[in-house]
Amino acid sequence: MSFFGFQENDLEEERQRIRNGGAHENEDVAVYTWGEESYDGLGDALQEGGDDLNDETFGGGGSVGKDFDFAGQTSLLEPELAQQKSLSSEVQPRRDNAPVRPAEQHLPGDRRAPQSLESIWDDRSPFSVLPRENGGSRFAERERREPSTSQFSPFPESPVLHQPNASQGGARTLQEIEAEMRTAALQSRGASQRQQNALRLQQEEEFFQEQAYQRQRLAFQRERDQERELQLQALQRLQQQQVMQLREQPQHQRTPPPRMLPVSQSPRFLDQRQMLLLQQQEEQHQLRLQQELQEQLHMEELERQLRAQQISQLNQGPTHFNHRRQPSGPTIAELQALQQQHLHRRQRSQSPAYQDFNVPPQNSVQLQQRLLAELAQVEYLRDFQGATQAEQEALRAEAMRKIVEAEKMEDKRRKKAAKIAHMSRYNDLMTQSDKDFITRIQVSQLVTPDPYADDFYAQVYGAILRSRMGLQTQDERVLKFGTGGGISLGNTQKAATRRPNAMQRMEQQVERIVSNARRREEEKGLHSLHSLQGALGKTSGRSYKAAPRQLLQVDDNTSTSPTLAHAHPHISKGEATGPSNEGAAKEAAKLSRETLGNTGNVVRKDPLTRRQVLTTLEALYDLVLKVEHLRREQPPPEEEDAFQRWQREYDDLVEQLWEGLKVMVPLETSNPHPFVSLLSPSKGKKLLPRLTRHIGSSRMLTLMTLLVACFTQLDVVKQAPLLDALEETAERAEVERQTQAFLGSVLQSILPIVANLELHVVTALLGLLIERSQDIAEVAKTKPGLALLTLFLSRVEVIKQAWNNGAEPVDVMTAGAALEQWQAVFDQFFVLLTPHLLSLFPSSRITLQAHHPTSAALAIDIIDQPVWQFLAALALQAVPEQHQVLVTSLRDKVLENVLSANKGWVADEDERRTKLANVNLFLHALGLDSSQIAL
Amino acid sequence: MLIFSVFKTLTDQQVTVELKNDLSITGVLKSVDQFLNIRLDNIKVLDEARHPHMMAVKNCFIRGSVVRYVQLPSEHVDTQLLEDATRRESLAAVKR
Repeated sequence: MSFFGFQENDLEEERQRIRNGGAHENEDVAVYTWGEESYDGLGDALQEGGDDLNDETFGGGGSVGKDFDFAGQTSLLEPELAQQKSLSSEVQPRRDNAPVRPAEQHLPGDRRAPQSLESIWDDRSPFSVLPRENGGSRFAERERREPSTSQFSPFPESPVLHQPNASQGGARTLQEIEAEMRTAALQSRGASQRQQNALRLQQEEEFFQEQAYQRQRLAFQRERDQERELQLQALQRLQQQQVMQLREQPQHQRTPPPRMLPVSQSPRFLDQRQMLLLQQQEEQHQLRLQQELQEQLHMEELERQLRAQQISQLNQGPTHFNHRRQPSGPTIAELQALQQQHLHRRQRSQSPAYQDFNVPPQNSVQLQQRLLAELAQVEYLRDFQGATQAEQEALRAEAMRKIVEAEKMEDKRRKKAAKIAHMSRYNDLMTQSDKDFITRIQVSQLVTPDPYADDFYAQVYGAILRSRMGLQTQDERVLKFGTGGGISLGNTQKAATRRPNAMQRMEQQVERIVSNARRREEEKGLHSLHSLQGALGKTSGRSYKAAPRQLLQVDDNTSTSPTLAHAHPHISKGEATGPSNEGAAKEAAKLSRETLGNTGNVVRKDPLTRRQVLTTLEALYDLVLKVEHLRREQPPPEEEDAFQRWQREYDDLVEQLWEGLKVMVPLETSNPHPFVSLLSPSKGKKLLPRLTRHIGSSRMLTLMTLLVACFTQLDVVKQAPLLDALEETAERAEVERQTQAFLGSVLQSILPIVANLELHVVTALLGLLIERSQDIAEVAKTKPGLALLTLFLSRVEVIKQAWNNGAEPVDVMTAGAALEQWQAVFDQFFVLLTPHLLSLFPSSRITLQAHHPTSAALAIDIIDQPVWQFLAALALQAVPEQHQVLVTSLRDKVLENVLSANKGWVADEDERRTKLANVNLFLHALGLDSSQIAL
Repeated sequence: MLIFSVFKTLTDQQVTVELKNDLSITGVLKSVDQFLNIRLDNIKVLDEARHPHMMAVKNCFIRGSVVRYVQLPSEHVDTQLLEDATRRESLAAVKR
């Protein structure tokens, strides 16, 4: 079949023939043209000189051994050659007919003789076919063209190859070749027949040799084809490897994080990677295109710069060249360096890691394009307007600056990208399930059934802070679920409005977690007996719990043995809440004795011990907390059932509180009274303001009456003299602290009650205070006492004013009686107080002591202030005769203060003002002023 | 959970963390977790001359287990509330 007009050639047949050794017929023997008319005589032109040292170099002196016969095949071929001679005897005549000058004589059947250039190319010889059938290129030709590359055949490497008759065989020895060359040199152009015969003979010989060679070569070629196949396979493998490397490059370039490899083996991950790879390839391709574009632009730009420079050089002349070049843009070398750098960068940018994180290069391309456009514009302008040198300079400098800036920007961006790449190597280190797991642990830590119990501080603190800042409390940060579980969100921003879905999902998840936790707890309760086996002294195994708890927790409340309860060294709750267990027997005995003796209507007891006080206070605090918690959960009054239940519970708790305060314990039970004992620690004092909210006003009045009745029993009153000492001692500091707590807590909590007292009640209270305290002056010398008296006096003044201006319409008769009563009590009080008026001042009391540091002067004025206030209140209530007494008693004190203020015996303006203000406070109450005092 | 609860209210306040290796770091409390791991910002080491290597450090994460003390700003701690919280916790512990 003729294909595209080619001569039909049965390749299979031909190959068969070649394999059978019959290839010699159509062999593609190289054509030699020595001694022919067409011989161009180049051989004569060979330089034959310089051969003097050849023998020395090649060892031509001695006999030549056979050790150079590398292939060792020449001798092996000899019998074969002989065989071939006989075999090819029938071919011989034809050979004779077809002389060795194929260029001139063409036999019609001789296909191998090329007639024209085309026919040479149109080589259909078996050898041209052979390599092709193995998928290779034209082998022989390639070998001829690049002999050094073929390393498989010993023949092409032999030096003969470089001779014109190269392809005749590498099996020949050097000697033969030399002989050949020598004969060739000897032959003249018009060679004799003999010579020609000899040549023919020689050529015939050569032919046979070549046949052997060809066969060898065939075998070799087969071998080589195999090798090539192997090579191809290797190449393919290599390519595959390269592809694999390319795939793995992103991972290889970044240090693989520890868990990367196992994860990457999962099929899901592989899929992802393949996707990634595809993406990367695409990106790379695009990037390469872009980079090529960029490169081109850059080159153009550089060229332009060069040209501009050249132009400017021309413009400015060579003399300015050196000095000019320095400050303006880069030199040619610099530009080249830049170029190289650019190339380098380009190479570097081939790395996928870089490409991955390369910011879309369009930006830089655009930038460069813009720069180029600007440059072009500048050039254009210059060409047109013939701008001045300086302007050109400036423009060029500007352009260069811009370019440098762009470079810098790019550099920065690259650094950033590298950093991101460096950091991102840990990306996807954790799977989603890992993250979920951790989130679950964290959330389960935050989730509690009662956020007010476990996150009490933060919740209440936040509420207080918010109320202090005037924020609405509607911003509830405690999520509560239907099951009663809750999660405290801490200080997180309110996200409910923004991401309702996320919140819902989280709620659901948290709800599940809470219910699971609860079920676990229940199960634990069920199997507690089993789980407790061997649990003695062990802590709970959940490492993520904040505090380790002992697995075995014995509840001491359940303990029935009293001896065990008493042996317990710590304060137990049962002891505090119930009637004192301590010395129960002793107590009982005492009780029975007293009831039997029936000495009075009051059972006398020992005052509460400090421990009893503390335990009682703790119990009270627990009650208060419960009450406060209950108050927070007050149901709306509409739900009557729930509300009533709540009300009952609340009332019950308040009742317990009231009982616990021991206010109703008879006055004479003990000294100090149990209630006063409870007030002695500062936390007892601080408890009171928190109780007033829950205790009714009538009860509060009772409480206050008790307080007034037992006022001298109070620690702050008893220990008040300590405050007059100026030395800083621990006791003084403690008294100071307690006094402050009392003033701040106890008096503050009774202040609203006093503010609503009737006149007769105030009168009764003042009478009670005078009656119960052995020395009212002593009470007045204490800060709490002074404060309480001031409270009473100012309350009376307020009532009087209300009556006078008719704001509070009252029955004249009762009012008059009440006023009379009051005046009587007040007179008594005034009389009792008068001898001690001066010593009411802490400053006076301190001055009485021998030593007093002057540095305390200002402090003294400040601590005197309440006394002046008290005196002012006293003066308001006093009748004119009493005013006389007051003025006489306090004249010295007033004068001393005014004098020191006016004469400048003071440290600074503040002290002067304080002194005057103090004095005026009192004098104004008398209807006077310090300025009226003439000195 | 109580201390965690307290620390939660102290975020963005200046605290001093004393570590078990006698390093005292003052800084703004950024966050605390249930292990009482602490993240501090804008830190300053108490004895800088002794710990020059800490001079360049601007923020840090402290593992809860290496903390010895934390000095709290007293004006940002409600002592009474703290007492109440303690009572509540002990109450809850008794209940359990």
